[in-house]
Amino acid sequence: MPSAAMTDLAPTPSRAPGRLPPLALLSRIGAAVLGGYAFCWGFIAVVHAGLYGLGMPFHDAEHLAAILGVLLYLVAFLWTFAARRVGLCWAVLLVGGGLMTGAAALIQRALLA
Amino acid sequence: MFQNFRLSMAWLHTWFGLVLGFVLMVVFFFGSLSVFDREIDRWAIPSSRFAPQPMPSFDTILKPAFERMQPDKDAIALLDGRVDGPLPERFEVVRSWGAYTTHRDPVVSVFAGFEVPRAKDPDETVFASHALDPRTGAVLPQGQLRVGSEFFYPLHYSLHLKWKDLGTWIVGFSALMMLAALISGVVMHRKIFREFFTFRRHKTVQRSALDLHNLTGVVALPFHFFFAFTGLVIFAGIYFPVAHTQLHELHELHERVEARETGLPHERAGVAAPMASVDAMVAQAQRRWQAKGMAGDVGFVYVSHVGDANAYVSVYRAGTDRVALTGEGIHFKATTGELLREDPPRSAVDSVNEFLTGLHLQHFRHWLLRWLYVLGGLLGCVCIATGFLFFVEKRKQQHAKAGSAGSRVVDALAVTTVTGMLVATMAMLVANRLLPESLADKGDWERTVFWSAWGLAMLHAFARGGALARARMNPAWREQCGLIAAGAVTAVVANAVTTGDHLGRTLAAGYWPVAGVDLSLLATAAVAILAAGRLGRRAKATATGQSPAVLAAAEARHG
Amino acid sequence: MVEPTWLLTGAAVNAVLGFGWLALAMDTHWEQVHGDAAPPPSLARALRVAGALALAASLGLCLGADHPTMAVLVWLMLLAGGAVAIAATLSWRPRWLRALWPRRVAAQ
Repeated sequence: MPSAAMTDLAPTPSRAPGRLPPLALLSRIGAAVLGGYAFCWGFIAVVHAGLYGLGMPFHDAEHLAAILGVLLYLVAFLWTFAARRVGLCWAVLLVGGGLMTGAAALIQRALLA
Repeated sequence: MFQNFRLSMAWLHTWFGLVLGFVLMVVFFFGSLSVFDREIDRWAIPSSRFAPQPMPSFDTILKPAFERMQPDKDAIALLDGRVDGPLPERFEVVRSWGAYTTHRDPVVSVFAGFEVPRAKDPDETVFASHALDPRTGAVLPQGQLRVGSEFFYPLHYSLHLKWKDLGTWIVGFSALMMLAALISGVVMHRKIFREFFTFRRHKTVQRSALDLHNLTGVVALPFHFFFAFTGLVIFAGIYFPVAHTQLHELHELHERVEARETGLPHERAGVAAPMASVDAMVAQAQRRWQAKGMAGDVGFVYVSHVGDANAYVSVYRAGTDRVALTGEGIHFKATTGELLREDPPRSAVDSVNEFLTGLHLQHFRHWLLRWLYVLGGLLGCVCIATGFLFFVEKRKQQHAKAGSAGSRVVDALAVTTVTGMLVATMAMLVANRLLPESLADKGDWERTVFWSAWGLAMLHAFARGGALARARMNPAWREQCGLIAAGAVTAVVANAVTTGDHLGRTLAAGYWPVAGVDLSLLATAAVAILAAGRLGRRAKATATGQSPAVLAAAEARHG
Repeated sequence: MVEPTWLLTGAAVNAVLGFGWLALAMDTHWEQVHGDAAPPPSLARALRVAGALALAASLGLCLGADHPTMAVLVWLMLLAGGAVAIAATLSWRPRWLRALWPRRVAAQ
């Protein structure tokens, strides 16, 4: 006899993807995958350039940024699915990613000068 | 979109777990095999079945071999579109030479990187790589595929889909989804501590599959998490190529600064100059390590700007007794043998990074840990496979009633990815033994057998899937288990017949690479036969309405 | 200096023992093994302490055998193996675990 634990957690066929609004679903997946990627790109770029600017060896900064960046992608991905409004996720991830990417560019320009 | 956090995590776990689970199954299984990839190479290439050797003499063995190397046609073909004019046929200016040994490999791996004339990108490099017999410097036959390190291992991180690194990207995304599945799984699993040891074998397939899924996921959670995570860290340069794109100029700045600080030239001088004795440099490096209390073998020798006045030789210690890959690099001026630089102790960040990558890439000498890694990998495979089983069982009845093919398709794909994958592996090993050694392009033939066998297994799985329309188990599971057992035994017999290195001989001589593969094959056959038997009983039970346990007892009584 | 093989064998044994005692501390598994109702709270606590100590001892033995970076990995993997061993024993031959904490000790 299946216990309550089994049936109430994983979605049953009546809530299969066909039933979840497809556009909303695509938006959420898009935000998680693409928005998350953009956000993490920005994070890795700004942490890498920033730490190098602060004196950390280049490859150390590169590796630390990547290690933290991968974990951040996981967090962003989970958050995007847990969040109530996907619009908020798109906004935070894209704007945040853009700002951080821009900041990294500025740091690079400053260091090259 | 989801009513609460738990439900959102449940949806994510189910659907992303399902879709990427097929990829992850391949990654985990061939990752497990890759723990012993060099040993599988020995089994597949009998002429390489000799004991591992230390790094051979550079001056007498390696240098002549390096000087003869040129990229092969496959490597040159990669330059298509990256060169102005026709593809060059010979490459004269050598950027680098590298040689590395491991305590597991009797062969030494060598590679050479060449400048590409008329290349669009001035940094373009084309590579040649060989495996050499360290006793003579002879190149190991080219047509022979190193089934472990050249096929199973790259399969696990790239799926052999090389176009624009597509396979590597797919594996990377799957790894990220593995991490998401682990976290979401923990969120979903309310009784994670209470059910830590729970495996209710005698309940329904749905209940016992879920129990086993939870068990194998939780007990090896650190393993599953760290392997997926470190895999992503290792290839982070591919997934987030920031230093080669957006921060490219910063990278160049760093390289110039580093060259000045370390005394290791970044560019060629453009003046040809002969090399001094590298063996003397290697000996000096080993003395220095010893003086620091870190006596060790040489793991990696690297020559930069070969043949130039700016050339330098880098010698690295093999990382066999710790998790970090290699270390304690010492650099010498190639023309004179003068010491240029001893790498300083690692920074904290560098140590962490080396630990993370080293834990995944496993250059250490620790046989127990290696076998425990195989256990972890197989637990991961069981976790994914039981996930599929649970998904199908839960929906089988409803889909059969509704006439939907959903669970039938998932089940057939599950058969393909679980037993089908093993069928293909066995077929490849059997082909490796049965095809003649002298066959040109033997490796290509073996690859064809692998992919064809897998394709046939998939067709078989779909063809036999009609049972699911009646909410029964697909007989392909049982049938492919039989094929696996037959294939595994055939491979062991074929090895004995074609090489004479049967278990009696290899166990007596203590030649574990070959004995280990043979024993593992026999163990696989045993498990496959047991599984087939159990599945057969369950199928009969479902048909007659009795419980499988009752049926087993009845069979035992009747002898 | 004790041979690493012995240290690691000891570590493996401790991992299995540790998880065995932790399992017995749980009502369902105690019942599976001994056929009795749940153990009294004081006994359950004693089992949990014993289990934790055995797992800690396992780590100590691993650290004695290898460089710390490797020892931690070996320990975590031995834990996985130990947990699977206990779960499998509970599923197939729960009676075998009777020896881990005989009923007579519980009755006292």
